[in-house]
Amino acid sequence: MGMTVNIDIGGTFTDFYATEGEGKGLITKSPTTHYDLSVGFMKGIKSLARGYGRSMDEFLGGTDAVRYSTTLGTNALIERNGPKLGLITTAGHEDAIFLGRGRSWADGGDSQGNKDLARINKAVPLISRNMVVGVRERMDSFGNPVCPLQREDILEALQELVDKGAMGFVVCLLWSFANPAHERMVKQVIEDEYPEDYLGSLPVFLSSDVSPKSGEYTRFITTIVNAYIHGVMADELTKLGNELRDGGYQRPLMLVHNTGGMKKVSRTRAVLTHNAGPVAGLHGALTLGRHYGHQNIIFTDMGGTSFDIGVVSGGRLQTYDFIPVIDRWRTNIPAIEVKSIGAGGGSIAWVNELLGNSLEVGPQSAGSMPGPACYDLGGAEPTVTDADLVLGYLNPENYLGGEMLLDEDLSKEAIKSRVADPLGIDVVEAARRIRAVVDARMGQAVFNEVALKGHDPREFVLFACGGAGATHACGFAPYLQVDKVVVSGHSPVFGAYGASTVNIQQVWDKSHTMKIFHYAEQCYSQDFDAFNSVVEELKELATADLRLEGYSPEQIGFRLELDMRYGMQYNLTKIISPHMSVSGPDDYQAICDHFTEEYSAIYTPEATFPMGGINVECFYLTAFVQTEYLQLQPQQEQGDAPPEAARRESRQAYWPSLGGFKQTQVFDFDLLQPGNRIQGPALIEAPETTYVLEPGWNFVKDGFGSGVLRLTGAPEQG
Amino acid sequence: MCAMVYARDMEVVQQLKPEPMTPRETAAQDKIDDVEYDIFVHKMNMVAQEGKETTMKLGASSGMRWGDVAFGIYTAQGDLAVVATGIWFHAVLGQLPVKYIVKHYVNDSSVGVKEGDSFFFNDPFYGGVHPADMGLCVPVFHEGELICFVGAVVHSGENGGTDPGGICPSARTKYDEGLISPPIKVGENYTLREDILNMFAAMNRDARTMILDIKARLAACRIAQRRILEFVGQKGPDLVVGGLRRILSVTADAARHKVSQLNDGVFRQPRFMDNVGMTEGLLKINLTLVKKGDTIKLVFDDTTPMLPDKPLNSFFQGIIGMAMVYFCGWFLHDLPANNALLAPIEWDFPEDCLLNAKGEAPTSMAPFPQTLFANAMFMAGARMTYHMDPSRAQASWYQGFGVPLFGGINQWGEPVADITPEINATGAGARNDQDGVSGAGAFFATMSDCSDVETTEADRPFLYLFRNYFKNSYGHGKYRGGAGVGFGLKMHHVPGAAMGCFGFGSRFPATLGIFGGYAVPPVFLSTVRQSNMGALLSSSDAGLPNNLDQIYGEGNPEQGQREFHHITLPIQLFMYGETFYVPVGGGAGYGDVLERDPQAALDDLAEGRASGWVVTNVYKVVYDPGTLRLDEKATKDLREKALAERLQGAKPFDEFVEEWSKLKPSDDVLHSYVTYPHPSVGIKQGPLMPSL
Repeated sequence: MGMTVNIDIGGTFTDFYATEGEGKGLITKSPTTHYDLSVGFMKGIKSLARGYGRSMDEFLGGTDAVRYSTTLGTNALIERNGPKLGLITTAGHEDAIFLGRGRSWADGGDSQGNKDLARINKAVPLISRNMVVGVRERMDSFGNPVCPLQREDILEALQELVDKGAMGFVVCLLWSFANPAHERMVKQVIEDEYPEDYLGSLPVFLSSDVSPKSGEYTRFITTIVNAYIHGVMADELTKLGNELRDGGYQRPLMLVHNTGGMKKVSRTRAVLTHNAGPVAGLHGALTLGRHYGHQNIIFTDMGGTSFDIGVVSGGRLQTYDFIPVIDRWRTNIPAIEVKSIGAGGGSIAWVNELLGNSLEVGPQSAGSMPGPACYDLGGAEPTVTDADLVLGYLNPENYLGGEMLLDEDLSKEAIKSRVADPLGIDVVEAARRIRAVVDARMGQAVFNEVALKGHDPREFVLFACGGAGATHACGFAPYLQVDKVVVSGHSPVFGAYGASTVNIQQVWDKSHTMKIFHYAEQCYSQDFDAFNSVVEELKELATADLRLEGYSPEQIGFRLELDMRYGMQYNLTKIISPHMSVSGPDDYQAICDHFTEEYSAIYTPEATFPMGGINVECFYLTAFVQTEYLQLQPQQEQGDAPPEAARRESRQAYWPSLGGFKQTQVFDFDLLQPGNRIQGPALIEAPETTYVLEPGWNFVKDGFGSGVLRLTGAPEQG
Repeated sequence: MCAMVYARDMEVVQQLKPEPMTPRETAAQDKIDDVEYDIFVHKMNMVAQEGKETTMKLGASSGMRWGDVAFGIYTAQGDLAVVATGIWFHAVLGQLPVKYIVKHYVNDSSVGVKEGDSFFFNDPFYGGVHPADMGLCVPVFHEGELICFVGAVVHSGENGGTDPGGICPSARTKYDEGLISPPIKVGENYTLREDILNMFAAMNRDARTMILDIKARLAACRIAQRRILEFVGQKGPDLVVGGLRRILSVTADAARHKVSQLNDGVFRQPRFMDNVGMTEGLLKINLTLVKKGDTIKLVFDDTTPMLPDKPLNSFFQGIIGMAMVYFCGWFLHDLPANNALLAPIEWDFPEDCLLNAKGEAPTSMAPFPQTLFANAMFMAGARMTYHMDPSRAQASWYQGFGVPLFGGINQWGEPVADITPEINATGAGARNDQDGVSGAGAFFATMSDCSDVETTEADRPFLYLFRNYFKNSYGHGKYRGGAGVGFGLKMHHVPGAAMGCFGFGSRFPATLGIFGGYAVPPVFLSTVRQSNMGALLSSSDAGLPNNLDQIYGEGNPEQGQREFHHITLPIQLFMYGETFYVPVGGGAGYGDVLERDPQAALDDLAEGRASGWVVTNVYKVVYDPGTLRLDEKATKDLREKALAERLQGAKPFDEFVEEWSKLKPSDDVLHSYVTYPHPSVGIKQGPLMPSL
């Protein structure tokens, strides 16, 4: 395997992870340059080249793949720098995207804000009302045309939008996923009127292409978001591609997708890049887990402002986002779910006087600017990082590998004035409570996320990633009662590491209602062609697409998943289909039985209701090509005892179960040998993080360079 | 044990406030660590949230599908301590069935409350609203001790009444309103009883949906039960028993404290309704809020008396529940939602009162007087709280409903009976600094969803001709209300289906504005029998109407037997191709229309939200009709002239009262009102003006 360069853009840093052959990966970080992401991007690549002792030409010329988890699209949404688009939709339904199923004001909001009903607002739309034009047409729920579409009507709509300055068209018609004929007709007319070889050529996006799924609001919004960020991303990525080519890179730039795969820039829908970094991290957990033989993994990533949670179950990423919201837009992309909650090192602690002085942590965050009080950048609010510092867990002179000095006095003052004094307790007790509360919130949130998917967290291994993951893992892990916590050596750049592990993959989805067990007749469907034709259609699309990527049909693997429901349930339960095609009632019965089995496991057997009828509502065909990734080779273990050189100074750290501050040994993570064991309490400092090993916990540095934590004593929290 | 009397329990419904702390709960208080308590509260909220999400995921009715769900954790005495919902009346009403179970069944040898049991309920006397709201709860035992209950309440819709869809405008007594079940054990040993489900199914037009909803509630309860027992296994039962109790205590203290910060005063708001079920008529609700110290008392003297044979009555507890909608969302939004929020609330309902239903009186349209009361509550509440926080003194969201009911066989040959979901897209009220949110939702179910057209059409026997914001749908003002939604339905796929509609505000506005803001204009239903709409569609007729304005306007090519109705239309058969047009109103206005930014009024015109007539005649804006360019000078002059005309129309108060008092609606609309203008005069003499 040749060189791969993997990049994950974060709010503060852009992370890089390079691999070559069987050698150890190289890590670097570069400050994210928000004014022009390519600056930080190229700077990091230069740093990697230096790390390998090569020139840029040599380095990029020898690179097989550059894989990129980009936030360009998300930034375009936040900054609202997308193009002026025109929306052509079914006449009479021009307000669908503004109506937003009513409660769109709540999408992307937090629960407390959504409860303050006098102050709610919907997001400012990406397409203003005057740029929406209806055309007379209508399909019904079976995809039958009820009202034909007239060419003259389309021309009139186009002229109106062009006159108003449209720079692109989004075409979203009702029931187009069931019958796209009218949307395609609109596209044909646009292409006739504004041919590609003319300067006035305007891009056209059809909802039946971008998101062929039921439910017009999310289908329309998905298409609009895709169109809105498409141009910005295309421009930026073209520029980046040119810079890479100028630097000697000869292969296509690959983009990581939120579906857990990657594709060339030229074969990527923009909307599939949202949140790709965390999804890449989750994929990294899946891959690293395979090295350990773990099938069930809870992935967490605790950074400065957020705490990401994802699940690997049965050795697969099969949990799709139930309501994928991008910024404030509810979409229907088949994204792998990585949930984010407002808890991190920068989360602010405060006292809720109204509720009897209860202590709250977050969801507000001090972020990185001004950041925690101890950063001395003007922050006056006490944060989780301040509490960690006061409790002696963080080394004020070795934070982020010594790149930032922390001021403990500022932490104490902030905690005293905002928490300790209002509660009538001392600063240390206040810091202890802040930590206890945030750990509980994270632990309980993780528990809920895992449990809501029908899993028992106790059957999982916990991966604690992110800069603060190792610092709080012993605090939140007991809420999950997991047996084992893994803190990867790649943890500080885990998203970039994860990008190195993703395959060429895309999910092709399509809504299609099929009643495979009829309620009225209480029998299985006899219509097998309907099922098979949808699967074949998706297979053909996937195969054609991957051929353009340069892969032959023999290299392509498929997996079929189905969204199913009983009767008139609205929400759907996804299963992996036991059959790629059906040829008799027995096959339908097997699918139904599998659905009921899964449903029963998630929601209890009392909830099942097969006699109510069983529908398939949506097909998801995952097409993938297995690619090589760095197979980590475990290093030989060197014995239990850490070498003397790994022992740093000891310092006072607070351990609640031991009754207060105790002199605690500090270790240097990098100088620990594989196999070394440490019993808590102890502190282990790595360049990008600090392990807080609480009493009762045991640490082992394993052959993969990860820290493995196990609770050997009684858990302190529950 | 409390003996069963086979009648509604008048005592248990009085127990809306938290029960006294038990010795068990008191003893547990000393064992609770402050930090553990904070963690416990978060955990219980997560459990409730998981319960709500699970219920929604698994349910099938419109209410369930679109989030009309409340999931709660109750103390062993039945108080609701933790709830996840956007339907805040359930935060105080969901407890009554549980308290009923505690009172009547825990020690009853024929029923009993045991581990693995499950109880169903939909009697509105205990649920407080109407029979379409159905609930299920299960007890949670730990080593033989009943430590709490968990339960889910959801609007399931159809329950087998005289009219399909769960609302029965034609009901004459409660016996016309279908299944009305006080708490009943439906499962034992973790198994639902098929005989009971079979009975429910036999009483329901849409049995499948009802059963799916029951199973959804039960699944959510079982998961929550498991979570709580896991927590108890780690922390012991004391934290749960004592912690739930402490949540109530803390909430009660906080609510009293916040109320005490309001100025003392008396705030009055009469409201009128133009609907008496199947017929039109005028009714009155007369709300007086008396704020003194740390209590707010709700007084309803001079309200229309109970209507023994009309479904417009409400149980008093439903009104208290609706008061909580206002308190939870607008005044106490920063406090936990549970029945301890009632700690500072007192109430006084006259014995003979529309809002204090008794006996056999039907109540399936109770949401009408309840939302009418809510409009009064918004208006009086805005005046009561303005001094403390003007930004939350908001004009009312739309109160008048406008909800089609339907029943029949759908395009898949399956029985359906339900309501359409556009009630979850009404406009929000205007605010002190900005317009209301258009299509925001239902003020009483704010986290609910109005669905996609495609999702609704997928298994319903109609096709949406249009669904969009309709012109002049909101109350005008310095800040206008959010726009409401108008939609047209054509019967499709099937030979015919039963259709009706319920709501009020066709003759008298359903939702009034505040501080000079306008009311939401009256709305009405229109239908076209033997419509040519199908032909117009298939020929892509250039004149196809795409909104209510075009339906009502000249040049509408739709032909057939056009009828205009009050927004409440009794169920009747509509045949294939016939059409049905429904407006769901916007929010009420705030402040003087002459203070509205003229450009904002023109923007509304440009977007089709307001008509040119309104811009010219209500907002007094002068503009070029071709370019919509504002003429600032002429507008300023016109507004000054309008102000001067207002002053010219001024008269001394006594003179105004004398003229006003001569006005009286005709007798044919006062048939249920009793004595005009003061209904109470015809009932009993009592204080009309509560004093501090």
